[in-house]
Amino acid sequence: GKNEYDLLVIGGGSGGLACAKEAAQFGRKVAVLDYVDPSPRGTTWGLGGTCVNVGCIPKKLMHQAALLGSALKDAPHYGWNIAQPAHHSWSVMAQAVQNYVKSLNWGHRVQLQDKKVKYLNMKGSFSDPHTVRGWTKAGKETIVTADNIVIATGGRPKYPTQVVGALQYGITSDDLFWLKESPGKTLSSFILYVSLECAGFLTGIGLDTAVMMRSIPLRGFDQASMECLTECREQMASLVTEHMESYGTKFLKRCFPTKVEKLESNRLQVTWKNTDLGTEESDSFDTVMWAVGRAPDTKTLNLEAVGVKTNSETGKIIVDASEATSVPHIYAIGDVTEGRPELTPTAIAAGKLLAQRLFGQSSELMDYASVPTTVFTPLEYGCVGLSEEAAVQCHGADNVEVFHAYYKPLEFTVAERDATQCYMKMVCLRESEQRILGLHFIGPNAGEVIQGFALGIKCGATYPQLMKTVGIHPTCAEEVTKLHITKRSGLDATVTGC
Amino acid sequence: MGWEEIQVRGYEEFVRTAQRYHGRPIFALFCGDKDAEGRSWCPDCVTAEPVVRNELHNLPDESVFIYCLVGDRAYWKDPNNEFRRNLKLTGVPTLLKYGTPQKLVEEECFKADLVRMLFTED
Repeated sequence: GKNEYDLLVIGGGSGGLACAKEAAQFGRKVAVLDYVDPSPRGTTWGLGGTCVNVGCIPKKLMHQAALLGSALKDAPHYGWNIAQPAHHSWSVMAQAVQNYVKSLNWGHRVQLQDKKVKYLNMKGSFSDPHTVRGWTKAGKETIVTADNIVIATGGRPKYPTQVVGALQYGITSDDLFWLKESPGKTLSSFILYVSLECAGFLTGIGLDTAVMMRSIPLRGFDQASMECLTECREQMASLVTEHMESYGTKFLKRCFPTKVEKLESNRLQVTWKNTDLGTEESDSFDTVMWAVGRAPDTKTLNLEAVGVKTNSETGKIIVDASEATSVPHIYAIGDVTEGRPELTPTAIAAGKLLAQRLFGQSSELMDYASVPTTVFTPLEYGCVGLSEEAAVQCHGADNVEVFHAYYKPLEFTVAERDATQCYMKMVCLRESEQRILGLHFIGPNAGEVIQGFALGIKCGATYPQLMKTVGIHPTCAEEVTKLHITKRSGLDATVTGC
Repeated sequence: MGWEEIQVRGYEEFVRTAQRYHGRPIFALFCGDKDAEGRSWCPDCVTAEPVVRNELHNLPDESVFIYCLVGDRAYWKDPNNEFRRNLKLTGVPTLLKYGTPQKLVEEECFKADLVRMLFTED
């Protein structure tokens, strides 16, 4: 018989919702399955996926809370009479953030209803390539059939199962943003961008925070699977962590945890090996947060039954350039797919383009090249295009020119803030045209700075064109237009004020 | 026990009534005042009210439906009136589930399926 829906989307996150809504615009019959398995700690949330509930949104808001803390410290220099130190209330912040997230959950519900997309709060599992069994929390079952199925189930944080007590006593980002009470003295392991961002804002709101890292602060960045972050190790990662250290985050370097135990006081005792000194150390914390990577959420989909191929190492679904899986009419987008950035905007764009190809006579594929991104650590790191390492690997050191500069944001001067790690570098081809391959910026508002330059890179901007671009004064971004000291020259790259 | 309707006028009366029923699900429809003929100065409220009333039978048991007249047009237009300031209302009609971010504003209230969704979803 005929399938009930033109499109079934499994997963109501950034990618899934964008795909569903776009398909509905074409007048198609669309259904979305969304379901959140509670975290081991019991945390759960509404419609919208990781970004809205336990990712980008709450993260950026709490990062903002921490930045405001810094601004309060700067304020007396600018003439403000503020009682120092200012006290921060986790519960006031958390409630405000959680309320905003809930309003987004509702907003998505209204949008789906309005666009006539059928929403089912159910967990899905394949019966055959066009049939998915869905069941509610209460166990009620529904069969859904569709001509086309898009898997957009995203991922969930992993636990370091080799650490005794990790699952029992530790939390992840899934839980952190929904805590009603302050996490208190926190240990964050390991060095992924999630860990740094969270440790960063926790320190910023006045909490005693430590980050544990097994090796040099770059390994973890690999797992972000973002084109520029993937390899932008040494320099950028060190600068970011150096800044955090100077602002009070403790770094337990070359250590790895062996066990977590609960004390009588209800605090947690963490024991770890210090590989430098060859000793065992321990300390007590109120909260232990794991940031060891994310695993694709595919376990209960029953992919084997329909033959959807996954990467044996990562478990992620293998897709081609059109987001098609190994099974006709079954597609996958977003964090659940192999080799794609784990980013909201790419999932949304991929979802929309997929819907346009399926129902709108388009043939445009998603362009994953030069995706800009930003890590929202206390001193932010934004980038677009190739890392220095990737450019050298691709074109050879002789064909790559790296322009760089250490600069000082004007706002830091009066506030007597240390700008040692404020830095930028631009990677260009050395030959005639001098095309810009990548841009990397560490400083305040890095995301805002890099966004515009992403357009330039997409258009194939060259170094000469950049030099003809007049800067806006006084800003940090203008320093990009003035980059002229090369790494090759070995000259001092510190910019002097105007 | 099914649901019940309470009619109030003005911010103070609304807050007192909401507090009285604390613990039960509270839904509220905010509309502009009605004249002697029972017509509101707010044309969207005139459109929305019958749509909302038609869906009231979907209200969960034990819930309270507060029908609140906010005031005259001049009061409503004041950007500092208590409804705007304290309840963060941005327009009338507004239909909301008290104590949650769940609400429908203006034309959203014309859609029966959205009203039903607000009344029946968690």
